[in-house]
Amino acid sequence: MRKVNLIFVMVLIFGLLQMQEAKAQLSGAQIMQKVYDQPSGKDLQGELTMTLENKQGEQRVRKLKQYILKEAQGEKKIMFFMSPADVKGTSFMNWSYTNGQDDDQWIYLPALKRTKRISSEGKGDYFMGSDFTYDDLGDRHPDEDNHKLLREENVNGKACYVVESTPKEEDYMYSKTITWVMKDNYIGLKREFYDEDGKLLKTLSINKYEKISGFWTILETEMKNVQKDHKTKMVFGNVLINQNIPATKFTERSMTLGQ
Amino acid sequence: MNKNQSKTISWIVILSSLVITFFFLYQMKENAYMETDLDEYMPKEHPAFVYSDKAEEWFHIKDGILIAIENKNGIYNSGSLQKIKDMTKQLQDMNEFDDNDVTSLYSADNITGSADGMEVESFYSKVPKSEEKLKEIQAKVKTNDMVFGRLISEDETVALVVAGMNDSTFTEEFYNQILEFAHSFEGDGDKIYVAGRPIVEGTMGLLGPADMKRMVPIVLIVIALVLYFLTRSVRATTATLFSVFLSTIWAFGLMAWLKVPIYSVSTMMPVMLIAIGVAYGIYFYNHLNEFLSIGNKPNLSEGVKNTIKILWKPLAMAAFTTLIGFLSLLTSQVYPIKYFGIFTAFGILVAFVLALAFLPASVILFGYSGKKGKTDNSNTVSNKIQKLTDKILEKKNITYITLAFIVIISLYGISKVWINSSFLDKFETDSDIVLTDNFVNSKFGGTSTLNVILESTESNAFKNPENLSLIDRMQTETEKLPKVGNSFALSDYLKRMNKVMNEDKAEFYAIPESSDMVAQYLLLYEMSGDPENLTKVVNYDYNRSNVTFQLKGDDSKTINEAMAVIKSYEDDFKAKGIEIKYAGSGYKALVFTDLILEGQIYSIVMSLVMVFILLSLMFKSIKVGLIGSVPIVITALISFGVMGLLDIPLSTTTALLSSIAIGIGIDYAIHFLENYKLNLLQTSNPVYALYATMGITGRAILYNAIVVISGFLVLLFSVFPPNRTLGALVSMNMFTSLIGTLSIMMILSYTFKIFSIKNHTSANK
Repeated sequence: MRKVNLIFVMVLIFGLLQMQEAKAQLSGAQIMQKVYDQPSGKDLQGELTMTLENKQGEQRVRKLKQYILKEAQGEKKIMFFMSPADVKGTSFMNWSYTNGQDDDQWIYLPALKRTKRISSEGKGDYFMGSDFTYDDLGDRHPDEDNHKLLREENVNGKACYVVESTPKEEDYMYSKTITWVMKDNYIGLKREFYDEDGKLLKTLSINKYEKISGFWTILETEMKNVQKDHKTKMVFGNVLINQNIPATKFTERSMTLGQ
Repeated sequence: MNKNQSKTISWIVILSSLVITFFFLYQMKENAYMETDLDEYMPKEHPAFVYSDKAEEWFHIKDGILIAIENKNGIYNSGSLQKIKDMTKQLQDMNEFDDNDVTSLYSADNITGSADGMEVESFYSKVPKSEEKLKEIQAKVKTNDMVFGRLISEDETVALVVAGMNDSTFTEEFYNQILEFAHSFEGDGDKIYVAGRPIVEGTMGLLGPADMKRMVPIVLIVIALVLYFLTRSVRATTATLFSVFLSTIWAFGLMAWLKVPIYSVSTMMPVMLIAIGVAYGIYFYNHLNEFLSIGNKPNLSEGVKNTIKILWKPLAMAAFTTLIGFLSLLTSQVYPIKYFGIFTAFGILVAFVLALAFLPASVILFGYSGKKGKTDNSNTVSNKIQKLTDKILEKKNITYITLAFIVIISLYGISKVWINSSFLDKFETDSDIVLTDNFVNSKFGGTSTLNVILESTESNAFKNPENLSLIDRMQTETEKLPKVGNSFALSDYLKRMNKVMNEDKAEFYAIPESSDMVAQYLLLYEMSGDPENLTKVVNYDYNRSNVTFQLKGDDSKTINEAMAVIKSYEDDFKAKGIEIKYAGSGYKALVFTDLILEGQIYSIVMSLVMVFILLSLMFKSIKVGLIGSVPIVITALISFGVMGLLDIPLSTTTALLSSIAIGIGIDYAIHFLENYKLNLLQTSNPVYALYATMGITGRAILYNAIVVISGFLVLLFSVFPPNRTLGALVSMNMFTSLIGTLSIMMILSYTFKIFSIKNHTSANK
């Protein structure tokens, strides 16, 4: 009887220890959920400088002004090109939906003086010839992937979780991604994208982030396609959050106004 | 030197030859490898190649493997569309191809316009089953100029899957793999054709050397038979062939030892060495026979010594001048040709040394009985030779006139010689590869490409509608040529975008009016289409643009015709600060063949001058130098003249033939002159000296020509046309050298009284 008790107690203690361990150690899925749940403002506006650089070192620099509004059913985004001069006034509007419906997109070309709806199929399309796909720019829901915490390590002096995410969908454009998430604020610091063959395709790095109006905001990021030796740098400036941008900003009419 | 001594020396010669041979065989086994990548032939530092390579990288210019799927009942059926899809996806999965480099109806974007917008979609992703859906695809294709006639034939029975690749990744295994892959889609009414430059290059890289490997033994057998027939001696035949064989092994062995790869031109080395090496053997045995027939008691050791003594000088001179001929190839900018020159020269040196060391040694060790059954009709033979010599001298005017006539015709022929950079033309006109190419050409724009690179110093130059219209005009004008199928440039994207953004109205299929509009369309394309496509036609600064022309032939004529039209726009472009340059494999092949020709002409002229100088020095007379050069000049003239008349273009193979013409022609002349000189010293009567020379050297030259000509005529049965041409032209060169030496050179030698000592000149009068 005593003997049985002892075993019982040992099992109990062991079990408790295990639970203790689980509590301290977040799972990969939990970490990615926290990243996803990072609070952000209702709306955002700012300037974006996008620099594309090809293998030969040639650059294409574009300056845009962008407005983003988050609504219950999705996100609305409008961008106005400021430079180069020959595309100034061109604007682009995108409405994305949380219910999985395809995005709605419009373009206004000042030379043509007409707004046109554009429809495109894949989210795997690259955004304006950059190394970012539309999907890379949006928030991918953590439920779409299986997550595994690989290890913890320091990146640039920041303690990070290293999480591997494998898509549940079979034909997704990446076979997996590996994300370095900072432990203290649950911001992704770096991400590697692997192609269908499991080879490293792109690396994303966050070079500058700040708290603006109480929200963590990424200000500089760079995506590098290592297979093509092509990179895209995005720098955000004059970022303002929760300025109560009216919904009327996101209409075909306002697209023609130039900013 | 007594008998034992000469035997010892002979053993040393034979054994050391064998040891060296084994060493080189070992080197060949360890280090020899075949270079099949044709890019390795190109002089990489040449500005045209440097530029083309750069442009290929800027615009992702690649050679395409074209897989055509033909269904006679129409391509719009579920089965064929499924095959296009499967083929596209599987090609994209192969490591040799980037996803973006595989183009087909399945992977192509269909950009269409409507009243309120623009749509970018694929023609299909799931293969439709219903007739209605299939008809819908058919209608979509028909209205898209970027696909109709390019990926789907206008009669709607053939679809094309294009996979771009770098030549350097092309291997023999991959070639077989891709053919097997493509043909696995055959069946259910679908026929598969595989074309494109990588396939042509691959086939050629395999076929040429394989054919040579098959033909060389047959050539050797025929030469052996004829050699035996002429010498009536198994030992002489075996020893001669063996020494030629050794010289070939040494040459290839040295290449392997120095880690120089075997290029496809190197496969001509055995041919050269056989032709020239066999001659040395024939001269050796001929002189030996002569000695043995004169001497009362055949003494081999004496005979050998005497032969070496008489022969070493003319042989050395012949070998030396031939060496000069081949070493002149060092001036070529093309490395494989340089190597060909060096190592063939080395082989000839070996053949020369072996003829005076190995052959004597084998005679001493294994014995030699002289030519059997020779003595009985020797008088009638020399009578005939005397009569022939008399006749040639008597009718010398006929020879002069004929020669003048031949020279005129040859010069006319030479004026028609053209260079061909085509790979396709090297195949039979009814071969699979040519038929496939013709088929794809008949249905689509063309299997070959020419890239025109436009460069401006001003950025944004190619957003300017004026410049774009000029490009468009140049495209339209060039496309009027029957051999130019279609073209593809930035202007095509802009015309399409302009039409799409204007409700798909046909009248808007034109270059947009303002540069702002151009810039905005391009931005729109980047946002909605595949931006990667644009990088194939214009760079980031919009000051470099790539125009691709599809050609229905890869021959120089087709490319030059297209380039002539393009060049007529040079001034217009220059006025706008734009420079025209060219790139791509077709263009590189064109430059390459020009380089070969240029190098060839240079090296012919140089070797002719060198040979003239050497002959003049050897015989201490400029007159002899001039007369001795006559046969090779005639041989070269006729060789190129016939090529022009028979429309045989100059190519890498045929261009090298002039080396043979000079190498062999000069041997004939030297032997003849040297022997004539000796005979003159003995008889001091030019006519008797000529009789004697015609008897010994004339016969040796004749035998040599018969052996080599019959050997090379075998190549006429080759399955690879360039090898056939080679056989015919080598035979012809031997023949003209023979006739030239024994007719015109003999006449000139006699008429201009070369080697004459004053007193016998007067005695002759």
